[in-house]
Amino acid sequence: MDINRRDFLKTAVVGGSLVLSSGARPADASMPRELPPEAVGILYDATLCIGCKSCMYNCKQFNSVEGGALYSKGATDPPYEFRTPQEIWDAPKALSSKTLNVIRVHRSGTGENKDSAENGYSFIKQHCLHCIAPTCVSVCPVAALKKDPDNGIVYYEEDRCIGCRYCMLACPFRVPQYEYEKAFPQVRKCQLCRHRIKEGSFSACCEFCPTGASIFGKVADLKVEAQKRLELKPGQEYDYPVQKVDSGEKMRRPVSKYLNHIYGAKEAGGTQYMMLAGVPFDLLGFHKNVDETFLPDLTWAYISKIPAVIVGVLLVGAGTWAITSRNKKADKEE
Amino acid sequence: MDFMSVIEKQGVSRRDFVKFCTGVAVTLGLPVSMGERIAEAASSPKRPPVLWLSAQECTGCTETLLRTNHPTLEKLILELISLDYHETLNAGSGHQAEEARLKSMKENEGKYILVVDGSIPVKDGGIYCKIGGQTVQSILEDMGSKAAAVIAIGSCASWGGVPSADPNPTGATPAHEVLKNKGIKTPVINIPGCPPNPYNFLSTVLYFLTLKKLPELDDQGRPKFAYGRLIHENCERRPHFDAGRFANQFGDEGHRKGYCLYKLGCKGPETHANCPVILFNDIGAGAWPVGTGHPCFGCTEKGVGFTLPLHSPARPKYITPPALFDEVLPGKEGASSGIKSLATGVAGVAIGAAGAAMLTGLGKKDDEKQDKEE
Amino acid sequence: MNQNDIKMWTPTTTVLLLIMGAGGLVALYRMFFGLGAVTNLNSIWPWGFWIAFDVLGGVAMAAGGFIIAGAVYILNWKKYKPIVRPAVLNAFFGYLLAAIAIFLDIGQSFRIWHPMVMWQVNSIMFIVAIHVVLYTSTLAAESSPMIFEKLKMTGLLNFMNKIMVPVVLFGVLLSTLHQSSLGAVYLIIPSKLSPLWYSSLLPYHFLVSAVLMGLSMVSFETILSTRVFNHKPDMDILSGLAKGSLITVSLYLIMKLWDLVTVAGIGMAFTGSTSSNMYLLEMVIGVILPFILLISRDRRSNMRSIFSVNVLVIAGIVLNRMNVALFGLADYAGKTGVDYFPSWMEFALTAGMVAFAILGFKVSVKYLNLFPEEAH
Repeated sequence: MDINRRDFLKTAVVGGSLVLSSGARPADASMPRELPPEAVGILYDATLCIGCKSCMYNCKQFNSVEGGALYSKGATDPPYEFRTPQEIWDAPKALSSKTLNVIRVHRSGTGENKDSAENGYSFIKQHCLHCIAPTCVSVCPVAALKKDPDNGIVYYEEDRCIGCRYCMLACPFRVPQYEYEKAFPQVRKCQLCRHRIKEGSFSACCEFCPTGASIFGKVADLKVEAQKRLELKPGQEYDYPVQKVDSGEKMRRPVSKYLNHIYGAKEAGGTQYMMLAGVPFDLLGFHKNVDETFLPDLTWAYISKIPAVIVGVLLVGAGTWAITSRNKKADKEE
Repeated sequence: MDFMSVIEKQGVSRRDFVKFCTGVAVTLGLPVSMGERIAEAASSPKRPPVLWLSAQECTGCTETLLRTNHPTLEKLILELISLDYHETLNAGSGHQAEEARLKSMKENEGKYILVVDGSIPVKDGGIYCKIGGQTVQSILEDMGSKAAAVIAIGSCASWGGVPSADPNPTGATPAHEVLKNKGIKTPVINIPGCPPNPYNFLSTVLYFLTLKKLPELDDQGRPKFAYGRLIHENCERRPHFDAGRFANQFGDEGHRKGYCLYKLGCKGPETHANCPVILFNDIGAGAWPVGTGHPCFGCTEKGVGFTLPLHSPARPKYITPPALFDEVLPGKEGASSGIKSLATGVAGVAIGAAGAAMLTGLGKKDDEKQDKEE
Repeated sequence: MNQNDIKMWTPTTTVLLLIMGAGGLVALYRMFFGLGAVTNLNSIWPWGFWIAFDVLGGVAMAAGGFIIAGAVYILNWKKYKPIVRPAVLNAFFGYLLAAIAIFLDIGQSFRIWHPMVMWQVNSIMFIVAIHVVLYTSTLAAESSPMIFEKLKMTGLLNFMNKIMVPVVLFGVLLSTLHQSSLGAVYLIIPSKLSPLWYSSLLPYHFLVSAVLMGLSMVSFETILSTRVFNHKPDMDILSGLAKGSLITVSLYLIMKLWDLVTVAGIGMAFTGSTSSNMYLLEMVIGVILPFILLISRDRRSNMRSIFSVNVLVIAGIVLNRMNVALFGLADYAGKTGVDYFPSWMEFALTAGMVAFAILGFKVSVKYLNLFPEEAH
């Protein structure tokens, strides 16, 4: 197998630069780090939540229509958790491929005091947090999950998805769910009622929340509102907006004791769904280890080295081959 | 004349009477067989004396007792107990009435049941409510110390009610606190409500008569059979709440359709009572505040009725129904059983392979030497 | 004994064929009824036994291909030429299995080509997918001379031999990236993977351990083949591989210890929990024992101890891959209350694929000129 060394080196260099030019383009490829200016989101205040699950019910109703995140072609009814021809049963306990939004609870001790970590309980509304730098978007090999450049919603294109479920593994909040029961399954997750926003409406969970525990709005406004609430004194009366952060409908009620923490303001680099509660968030199912790191950076640190590795391996390999094969020839000549 | 012939004279068959008593037993959460015993106790010729003391009250509690839809039976109950004193119902009045009270107290010391309605003013020496020149506070202290049990009927007697509403000008105090402050140990049962449901009162009395002990009480002295659950738990409009269908204003579409009244300030989620179960006035479904389209205002709950604004949203007491709310992190620390057994299996295979390898690799050095020599 | 003496139709073959058949049926069942019908995967355990063993384990086992090919063609260490073909073929089967496992494990199998056209360069999974495709093709190219030789297609054979050096170099590049990117897959889950395994150095761990695994795998096969063909082992090759293993395992040991001290803290390895026990087991079997055994020059030239080291390393590194993919997540998953134990069908399919690989290798040994130097 005598091939011309020059030819070989040429091939190697051409091949390397081909990979470089087409493959990794670090500058435009890294994930966003800032919110789109029109980013919308949800503020959930666990101290206002009464556990009526109205958000869960209406989420399912309004996402089962065409364009919704739970829609399946040909389906006439919402995807209930359990269904036989005779009976329907739908009391989801956790997120599933049929439930995008769930109210869960943390109980401790006697469970008497609302929003207290000792002998108390707290509700928590679990659904997609719409991270500023979403891990699911960054890990999806086919860009089936995308972040809307205008409103920042993390949405899903079912026609691209191959079903590798890396998004499920990567999500620090255990959000994406998979339709294991189907032969041609999809990933299901909250898409912040993107189809309703397009029609000028807003998220169903916020529209139907009776207490204003979930309110919809621009992320910037929601942050201001959340900060305002943290500065209130417990017991003081406050007009809590209902449905939307800038809505005219208010509900006056005394302020509960807040934990001084807006979950989602900084976690995982920031999210568009933010939460307030009276109970530490690690008790409410959010892992302590999720800090302010932009998680996609962790893999980007590896990917950004790939071009250098390609060039390095090819050059070193070719060089080594050149030297060792010359030695061989020299040996022979001797 | 014996009891049964009296009631038969009034058009009530023995069968109907036992049926009624069985109903009471069910309300109390007692087995149906208890009905017979209640009927027995209720028809016993020796009627227990009951004295009824009214303090700062509106007579609503008496009215509700009188205006239940079974006037005959209600009358019977008043006759089966020996109601020796009741300011509204007394035949006599003035000194006559007071004498009857004192006589009964003396005769039945330690045996009579004292029913109190209305709150007790304690401010300024209790001068804001007097009967026969005596403050009601001192009367209560006197009567209470000699009673077998005290039943505080209505919200006022149970926890203060309307008169105790801010700024509470008369220092209105519930009966059990007045007695407690005086160190009187007579047991007190609270039957709050504005007005309370008469059957809760009757059931309590019959329970006491039948079993000679007090029914199980909660931490606020209310019988658990009647006040053990939140209105919200048994509300007929609960499915609307669970599905997020709320009336936003009186008279709007949701209100007309009978949706949940939470947003109108219904206090059902923080008020313990059995109103949605036994209803009022025996006229069938819907005969209770929420059924008529008005939010519950929390009369049976201290700190809710007459205290919170009528239309402010309720703050749910606890999670109902508990089984339908899953813990956020239901698991325990450490690996769960399935993955643990997989780990054990994999570890077993790995150890087996490694062990075999170590044995073959190290155990037979001689073979190797032979190999080398070959 | 030579090739023609290998009996194709033995009881072992029948058993392997039966296992393969069962695996095939499971695969078919999965295609028609979906993942839920076949696996016990769930929302907390999106990746299970197939990814842990078939994909991660299989790919690690295939690392021998690029190392030996690189040594022979790039470094021109001609003494290893006799084992190039089995090493490359083994790698090819490893990758084929991984590819089949991925095909069956992804929910929409027939969209497996999507990553090739829908690039998303932020995704490690995209990188992995590209590498699997490219490297499987590269391995096919590297093994093709055997086929062409058999079919006596001299033209193609000569052409392949001519371009072999760039092909091998490309293979080395892809393997380096691919082995490490499998580790990089787990970089994104610092909150889920136990700190015993999670580290920003995870890609390098995977690469170094794959090299170790590859060397052992090749050595293991070489020893097995000497038994089959009943000839004297080439101790020069074996102790050369053992020396390579010693260097790699020393590096790997240092990296593992460095991570244990800097990331998790030594205490974490001794808590007695499932994850810490699995970590200790992995360290003892896959790293410490091989290191101790290999350190003595005597043992490095002793076929039996080399063989035991090989078995230890293979078991230990497979254990490592399963730890990263499954048991390292157990503590996080335990709190969520969601459990995972593979269904019998997950085991059956894996067994079927392993049987397929063994049988495929056997067929290749019989019909292809796998050990060119030894055949005569």
